Amino acid sequence: MLQVQNIEKYYGNKNNITKALDRVSFDVAAGEFLAIMGASGSGKTTLLNCISTIDTVSAGRILLDGICVEDLSDAELAKFRREKLGFVFQDYNLLDTLTIEENIGLALSLNHTDPKTVQEQVREKARQLGIVEVLEKFPYQVSGGQKQRAACARAMVAGQSLLLADEPTGALDSRSSKNLLEIMELMNRDLKATILMVTHDAYSASYAGRVLFLKDGRVFNELLRRDRNRPVFYHEILDVLAALGGDVSDVI
Amino acid sequence: MCLLRWGVMSVTLFKLSLRGAGRQAKDYLVYFVTVVMAAALLYSFNSLVFSREISVLSQSMEMLPVMILLADLVVVGVFGWLVAYATRFMLLRRSRELGTYLLIGLENRQMARLFFLENLAVGSFALGLGTVLGILLYQVFRAVILALFGMPYHFSFGFSLPAAGLTAVSFALIYLHALRRSRRYIRRVKIHDLIYSDRHNENAAIHTGKWRRRIFSASLVLGAAGTLLLMAGDALLGIIGAACVLLFLFGFFLSFSSGVPAYFDRRPALKYGGQNLLIFRTLTAKLSTMGVLMAVISTIFTATLISEGTGLVFRGLFQGRAAEISCFDLYISVAEEWRNHDAYLDFIEENIPVEKSVLYPVYVSGSSQVVDYLTSCTVYYSLDFDQDPILRYSDYAALRSIAGYRTAELEPGQYLIHCMTYLENPMKQYTGLLTLGDFTLAPGTVYTEHFHQNYIEANGRGYILVVPDEAAKGLAVHHKAYAAKTVQPVSPEQYAALENLHNGIADWTEPQDSITAKANEEAAVASQTALFVFPLYYLALALTMTAATILTIQQLSESEQYKRQFRLLHKLGMDRREMCRALRVQFTFYYAMPAVPSLLIGVPFILNLCKAPEPGVMVGSSSPAAIIGAALGIFFLIYGIYITLAYTGLKRNVLPEAD
Repeated sequence: MLQVQNIEKYYGNKNNITKALDRVSFDVAAGEFLAIMGASGSGKTTLLNCISTIDTVSAGRILLDGICVEDLSDAELAKFRREKLGFVFQDYNLLDTLTIEENIGLALSLNHTDPKTVQEQVREKARQLGIVEVLEKFPYQVSGGQKQRAACARAMVAGQSLLLADEPTGALDSRSSKNLLEIMELMNRDLKATILMVTHDAYSASYAGRVLFLKDGRVFNELLRRDRNRPVFYHEILDVLAALGGDVSDVI
Repeated sequence: MCLLRWGVMSVTLFKLSLRGAGRQAKDYLVYFVTVVMAAALLYSFNSLVFSREISVLSQSMEMLPVMILLADLVVVGVFGWLVAYATRFMLLRRSRELGTYLLIGLENRQMARLFFLENLAVGSFALGLGTVLGILLYQVFRAVILALFGMPYHFSFGFSLPAAGLTAVSFALIYLHALRRSRRYIRRVKIHDLIYSDRHNENAAIHTGKWRRRIFSASLVLGAAGTLLLMAGDALLGIIGAACVLLFLFGFFLSFSSGVPAYFDRRPALKYGGQNLLIFRTLTAKLSTMGVLMAVISTIFTATLISEGTGLVFRGLFQGRAAEISCFDLYISVAEEWRNHDAYLDFIEENIPVEKSVLYPVYVSGSSQVVDYLTSCTVYYSLDFDQDPILRYSDYAALRSIAGYRTAELEPGQYLIHCMTYLENPMKQYTGLLTLGDFTLAPGTVYTEHFHQNYIEANGRGYILVVPDEAAKGLAVHHKAYAAKTVQPVSPEQYAALENLHNGIADWTEPQDSITAKANEEAAVASQTALFVFPLYYLALALTMTAATILTIQQLSESEQYKRQFRLLHKLGMDRREMCRALRVQFTFYYAMPAVPSLLIGVPFILNLCKAPEPGVMVGSSSPAAIIGAALGIFFLIYGIYITLAYTGLKRNVLPEAD
């Protein structure tokens, strides 16, 4: 589904160049749950921004469903984002002026979905994510976990093929984090959602099927969960982090 | 040591104040520009108060300072409200920054001083800049007034110390009022309240959603009823209508944030269609705490439109009346049965060189067929003539020559009609034969030049019938009149002497003579225009600027929220074109909402006011349509400048860069 081919990203001017991504390549298959881990400054958010077309790459190609995002015009990029990509951010990024229902419906509205069916689709997604009872409320009236589930619903409601999550549990307490991760797991398993999650939290990453480790802008290691249970996978992730060096303090 | 510390502290405070003032001027540029313009307006109008050149233009211009000072009082009040509102607004927006000052050890007293100095710096700078601009603006006003009096304008740079002093006093009052309130607030405020001010919920005036929705529905009904009553044209109904519309304004704006979502909630298809969701939600979020302010702004706009419209109606009234009666350089009419013109003619012969003149009788026909016809088919009223007024053709020809009009031919067996413009159409359709003794005459050409036919006993009331000289023989004389083309315009002294002559011979129990001189009428129009129109426009300008500034400050202050919103929408796949459109529609609604109710009240009010003068005055450039067009044009020109400034500023700040 997603092919990242030798991408590089440089910042700065010719006297002071920072290499944020250095020949990064990997593929994500449809229905996969991939976590990208790394310390601060390792390039994981830059990578996510490039995939989400919010930022551009300096070299290399990113293909989603066979479409090279670099070849798209501004208008096509906007269409691409609203049709193919769903976002979940650490700070929820819900609009304060809209109710939870309207926040989720906004994604459909932007996609020019038939307005008569919007409410029905929103309710269906809310039911799957367990937030039907807060649909009428405004973001400031609900908990962080409910907000994040609303963000997940918004990211999926328009049938987007890839869900991009940037530290989705960063602002949540441990109970809400667990709840959200279980929901993401459910979305991946039952709803066949393809998820790419950036995190520096080993516990969050242990819910993924595969973990990519970034260090200094390069892919340092890759771990596959296969048939192992989550606690075992979690310890394996911690081992890799230890090998990466000095980032155990980031781990819960 | 202590002195040194205080010195260091003062310098730091001073630097902080200056930096704050600079940032304030930059962040709230629209507000700063308005304050500069306020100073410019105050200075330029105050310069008119103290100008000797202007006050000696005419005797009645001595009233101008009084009128402007009265307007000054209102304008200082309006700008005082603006500055107080904006100061308080900025103070609350900067709560966190001010809280930090307290946190690092600044005392409330010192912080109040800091804020005072900062605003003093902004106010003083605006006053200085505004005074310089005011000097230029005064030249514009001076040129307009001199043009009104037909005097040549020469640029002469001048600085009026008394005007600058009065402006400075006005500014001091405006700022001291605003800063006294802020000082009181800062002295009492606690660190916690400042640091966590953004966590306080804003207060909505009506809390219960159910009540709001009921008020919303009731306000819409009141608005519709009020507009219909205003359009009815009756004075009493108009007052009731205005009251309904005022209730609608407050009810509508206070309940909008509940009524509109309730409406959309019942219509989900409409809610999620296009960009409706974003637009109505942004508006309701804004209006939920701005209801009273929006209603006040709408009321201010109404007052502005009424001020502008009233100014234009006055101008039209003065000009329309004067244009009609100043077609002859000198005109005197006396009631035949009481006096003759001898005393006037003797004076004119001795004192006023005349190029050509005519002394003539105005007859009445003995019937009222044309009066009756006009009364039946148009808005016409006649106080002096219950019979049709008649003029001999030879006198008419002489009068046309004196007025400088082309010759009018009278065909045999016909009579001519000379009427005011507003009677032209019915007169052209009039086919009645006129029987005078042995003569039966058919209607001929209709002429409509100004002919001294409006509100005083002159060449007929609105119209006169011109007949062959022989047909007028034996008719009763209504009054006699004298018209002349003078070599020089009649001077104010000559006019005053003629009036004194009249006062000397007048019997006040009987009909009075009428003396009009073109030069005198033109001076009167100029004075009246300056006296009424200038203060009303002064007021209108101040009101529009104040209301538009507050709307713009409110809009621009939320740049950060808008920025976050559009950044998210960008990520969600909304393209820039759609974002521009959403912002534009949002803007249109936001700025149209307080203006539309004002139009609903203002336009019918002005239309009714246009009907107040006698018929035939409010025509041409003073017709109701032209007055409405001009009033709206001026209003939307100023309003449009603010909207454009706010829109371009916000668009630049909040929309993400193109990918």
